[in-house]
Amino acid sequence: MGKQVDILQGTLDMLILKAVSLGPLHGYGVLLRIQQISKEALQIPQGSLYPALYRLEHRGWIAAEWGESENKRKAKYYRLTAAGRRQLKTERQEWKRLAVAIGDVLAAEPEKV
Amino acid sequence: MLAQLRSWWRALSGPSRLDGEMASEMDCHMERYAADLVDRGVEPGEARRRARLEFGSAAVAAEECREAVGLRWPNEFARDLRYAARVLRKSPTFTAAAVATLALCIGANTAIFSVVDAVLLRPLPYPHPERLFSVARHFQGKGPESYQTNLWGSAWEAVRDHANDLDAAVFSDGSMGVNFAAGGRVEYVKQQRVSAGFFRVLGIAPFIGREFSADEDHQGGPAVTLLSYALWNRAFRADPSIVGQAVTLRGEPHTIVGVLPANFQSIVPADLWTPLRPSRSGEGGGSNYAVVARLRSGSAWAQANGQIETIGAPLLRQYGQDPTTRLRLISFQRGLTEYVRQPLLILWAAVALVLLIGCVNIAGLLLARAAGRTREMATRMALGSGRAALIRQMLAESVVLGLSGGGAGAVLGWLGVKALKALTPGSMNVWQAVELDWRVLAATACVSIAAGILFGLYPALIASRLEIRAALGEAGRAVAGSRNPWPRRLLVASEVALGVVLLVGAGLLIRTFAHLRSLNPGFDAHNVITAELSLQDARYATSQSVNRLFEQSLARMRELPGVESAAVALSLPYERALNTGFQRLDGGHVDTESQITNMFYVTPEYFRVLRIPLLRGRVFTAADSSAAAPAVVVSEAFVKMYMPGDDAVGRHLDLGGGDRREIVGVVGDVQQKSGWGDGNPLAAMPDMYIPATQVEDKFIQLVHTWFSPSWIVRSSGPAEGVIAGMQRALGTVDPRLPFAGFHSMDDVRYRALAQERFQAVLLGALAGLALLLAAVGIYGLIANSVAERTRELGIRLALGATVPQAIRSVALPGVALALAGVIAGSVLAGFASQLLRHLVWGVRPGDPLTFAVVGIGLLGVAAAASFLPALRVTRLNPAETLRQE
Repeated sequence: MGKQVDILQGTLDMLILKAVSLGPLHGYGVLLRIQQISKEALQIPQGSLYPALYRLEHRGWIAAEWGESENKRKAKYYRLTAAGRRQLKTERQEWKRLAVAIGDVLAAEPEKV
Repeated sequence: MLAQLRSWWRALSGPSRLDGEMASEMDCHMERYAADLVDRGVEPGEARRRARLEFGSAAVAAEECREAVGLRWPNEFARDLRYAARVLRKSPTFTAAAVATLALCIGANTAIFSVVDAVLLRPLPYPHPERLFSVARHFQGKGPESYQTNLWGSAWEAVRDHANDLDAAVFSDGSMGVNFAAGGRVEYVKQQRVSAGFFRVLGIAPFIGREFSADEDHQGGPAVTLLSYALWNRAFRADPSIVGQAVTLRGEPHTIVGVLPANFQSIVPADLWTPLRPSRSGEGGGSNYAVVARLRSGSAWAQANGQIETIGAPLLRQYGQDPTTRLRLISFQRGLTEYVRQPLLILWAAVALVLLIGCVNIAGLLLARAAGRTREMATRMALGSGRAALIRQMLAESVVLGLSGGGAGAVLGWLGVKALKALTPGSMNVWQAVELDWRVLAATACVSIAAGILFGLYPALIASRLEIRAALGEAGRAVAGSRNPWPRRLLVASEVALGVVLLVGAGLLIRTFAHLRSLNPGFDAHNVITAELSLQDARYATSQSVNRLFEQSLARMRELPGVESAAVALSLPYERALNTGFQRLDGGHVDTESQITNMFYVTPEYFRVLRIPLLRGRVFTAADSSAAAPAVVVSEAFVKMYMPGDDAVGRHLDLGGGDRREIVGVVGDVQQKSGWGDGNPLAAMPDMYIPATQVEDKFIQLVHTWFSPSWIVRSSGPAEGVIAGMQRALGTVDPRLPFAGFHSMDDVRYRALAQERFQAVLLGALAGLALLLAAVGIYGLIANSVAERTRELGIRLALGATVPQAIRSVALPGVALALAGVIAGSVLAGFASQLLRHLVWGVRPGDPLTFAVVGIGLLGVAAAASFLPALRVTRLNPAETLRQE
């Protein structure tokens, strides 16, 4: 397990959208998947996961339905909607632009400015 | 957007379900996490603890979830309402006063609005009512514009033939009682006369059969009738094979051509319909028709109206109408309601005014309360509450008050509607039932909430504007009232001003009513019973048959024990009379154009039965038979108007068609509902009486389509036996004639003033409410200022001020405010009373007496309301007051 990073404000939504874009998940599943993909590098505050899920559902980017979980219990599964897919695409582009811009800023050397 | 609304609605509609789902979802999360921890070797108890710890507060997360789906605002709103209800429960006196005030005001508004809605606002119950129009004469005088929908036969023909944007039909306004007989059943029913195509224009198809055709709708056409669904059920037990059967109507066989649907709502109460048979002469020679028209599809109002104006111009000149008068196309609803429109709107304005006063009053109470809550407000602000939150909280209190008042008001309104119906039997004949339906209730709810915000906003704004430190540090310890007293004073003064407007309006209408009641009737109503009877009957189409009926029935009635005298007349005093034209032939006035007068046929004893005094000449006797010289008796008002300074007896009049008569006598005036002249509701109109024996058959037939003659009997004692006797007497002469009902002359007079009484009573009650509210407002203000200034007054008294001085210093602001309110209100009332111009008679709209009485009365009430609470000063003990705090 490497060093854990607190995720940036506003990127949680994007991460959730990405996580459910790989297949329907319940709340805890979203948490696990993000940790798994990031190789445990990203630490999601568990308390803020659900408000984020409800916010995304409210905006129509993810849809929820009740289903049965692997251990035969009722669980709420989230999946990406068409609107969510579009949103994920824009957020990803935004993120890339931001990352490039920040990278440029950090790579800047004194004599070139 | 849609998804957002859906999720918001789901959250709002099932908050408990949402909470349950969230809880189970989060529990599930923690359990799985704990299970995973156990898998990694953590001891189960410890795993559960860590799961909970790392998850953080589930309650906070749930709250954030609720916020995320847009529940923050409704949640806070619900909390505000709960808190408001708690606060209001804690001060029951204030709450009761405010809710009672509101309930009265909103109740009055609900009741009046239910009438306004049924009559003026709700669309007519016919398909596409927006395309239905009346052809009306438009008058643009100095005052507000007005319309008259009654037209001449030639005008109808012009519209029918030349207005090709319109599908038009014509009908006779109002319905007439007629005698109906079918299968051994005799009934007095209401008949309306309509032209061919009338129901097509309204958009109503008969339930069975058909409506009148053009060849049935002309003079001499076949006698046919359409039945209402109710009459069809009542008289024929809903027999489906009824079409083609005959019934006896007005003594004549009529063929039934159809039945109207059950849900058809007639514009006037009617049991059956007969063809109008419009003409240019006779009935159509006068303006006795009303025209309804449906705009053809593809046509626009402007275009059709243009046509109507063009058609109307030469016609109106021909009938000698004022050059500014035009023929116009107005909405059918407006055309039907023109005569009640203004009184209703005035009433509506009056109840709105009362509500406004009520709101101002409660705003005053809230301001006073706010003064007492300064510390609470300041504490809440100090604890971090924003001004907006405070305002919202106070508004929530007002809205709770408004809604409670509205709920109670709806109940009062329901009672009010019942009372209105009882107060105005028959005169609220509208095509839609006056009732408290969802429209009225929705309006009441809106008014309640609006009222809550209206009276709550100002006090909330004032109360939330405070200096926390000063308020917390010094509240209640100031020597004189620390608050600015002017907002509340302003409210009280404006309340008085609005009250003046209402009181003056009510005063003028009450004075009008008193004036009309005080008019000398001109006859003796004591112990007189009348009964009317429809003679629109084929068996009574001749003067001879009618007079035989009169003579025989009257002779029988005179034999009844207790009966002194009996007569028949075409119509009664206090009723609307027949108008007819005549020309003067001699006596210094020779006419080339017709003059107008009221006209009655009477049997000889008429003047004796009603004790109408004879002034000159003679009244009729049995000698004035059909063979005798044509005679006429006129009233004094007739002589004053048409033969001033002349003796009149012996002069001659031409009633048209070669009917020349000599004036044989002049009698005293009686009061009548005037259909012409200066528009007075009641007046001593010029009257002309002719002997019933001397009327022509044609005249009899025509006037009996409009008027049911009245039998008038004077008895020496109580009426009970007389009524049964009259019915029996008539029955022995003609068993197939039913009297339509019996009335004393006092009833007739009472009915004649129904509208004026209604207006005076209602506006008087509203003005009384306004006066009460204004008095309560002033009382509250002064009582509050005594409470606020207790300490100051104590010091003053201790320093040697006398009690009367102290009382004056407390009470005088109340009187001064009332004076300011009276002055401002009188100016307002000066304008407002002009709106009543058409409803005020026998008194000028600017009547100084009314204004003076209202002004002085209000000041008196204000003085009482100011000094009563000020008297509390006498109970002050200076020493004790100063020791407080």
